[in-house]
Amino acid sequence: MLNINDLTMIITATIMGTLARIFTLKEDIRQYPSYPNGYLIHIVIGFVAAGLGAVAIPALLSKNYIAITFLVLAVQQFRDVRKMEKDSLLSLEETEYTYRGNAYIDGIAKTFEARNYFALIVALSVSFVIQILKSKLWLEVVISIIVGIVIIFLLTRFSKGKSVGDIADVKPGKIEIKDSELYVDGIFVSNILGSDNARKLYKEEGIAVVIYPKEDHFRVTLDHYGQRQAILFEATRALGLKRYHFTRKDYEKGRIVVTLVPIISDINRLIDSVKNTPLLESVQKSHSVMKTNLLRSE
Amino acid sequence: MGKEANIKPPYEILAFITINKDRVLAGNALSLYTDTKEVQKMLTVDIAKALKADIVELKTGDYMVIRV
Repeated sequence: MLNINDLTMIITATIMGTLARIFTLKEDIRQYPSYPNGYLIHIVIGFVAAGLGAVAIPALLSKNYIAITFLVLAVQQFRDVRKMEKDSLLSLEETEYTYRGNAYIDGIAKTFEARNYFALIVALSVSFVIQILKSKLWLEVVISIIVGIVIIFLLTRFSKGKSVGDIADVKPGKIEIKDSELYVDGIFVSNILGSDNARKLYKEEGIAVVIYPKEDHFRVTLDHYGQRQAILFEATRALGLKRYHFTRKDYEKGRIVVTLVPIISDINRLIDSVKNTPLLESVQKSHSVMKTNLLRSE
Repeated sequence: MGKEANIKPPYEILAFITINKDRVLAGNALSLYTDTKEVQKMLTVDIAKALKADIVELKTGDYMVIRV
């Protein structure tokens, strides 16, 4: 039979672990394929992960060493979460305005998996803190909650990653149409504007941004095909897509063009969506980009 | 060319419409010859609309209907 201390430990740790998952759900809302059901699925899985983390310490203390092996099951379960997300996003590819691309999907799926570990680690830490403290129960709970919050903060910062806005400037681009060729700030983009309708549409409603890498070596990241596909995906999702979407890189100066005919013609929203596109984990990055500043303010 | 060079281009040529008989060749794509520029343009637009495709105007004055 569980005593009141163990029960408090398990409940506090489970709640904190689940909260860790809920906080991270809110943080990266744009990576969600469907809101109500997506939320439910991931909160429930987060709750299970937190429960596993919460009971690990009491199980160990009751010399139930075999019970610890269920952590292995948890890892397997989280891998399944990654696979589930990957399959889900891949199956949506054909229905989106443009492809997310395999690199972006891989990154999103990894993020989903990692965030379940957040719940596990936070719950484990909270139960550990309650266990090692020898004080009044309420004080133990308060201290463990504070520790849990700090760990959530650190883990969130650690896994945050960078976005395009951190390594590049994004400015509006000037669209020019010469015959059937489309240029943005003098960069050739496409020549599929062969009909009068297409030219008229693009002239009247097309918008474009140009991405300027802040350092020359950031071109390694920005030139990556998967990264540009991800940028284009975020742009079309933010504004909708009436017709045509292109990205093009300028080999000379490393500029990247993103242009489309959107449903919502809002250049500032386009700039924001491009800036907020995450840098993909799978993209080869320079070390200066990879350095994660845990305490950097937003 | 980078990675893109290894990726199969995501487009196909559906039709080629020309006003020069010498450029009508056999192939997968529909190849059409017309007498006048007006008919050529009209044909191109109609085919592109029907196939929900895009139009490329070549510098030679020929049109290609492609699907991206």
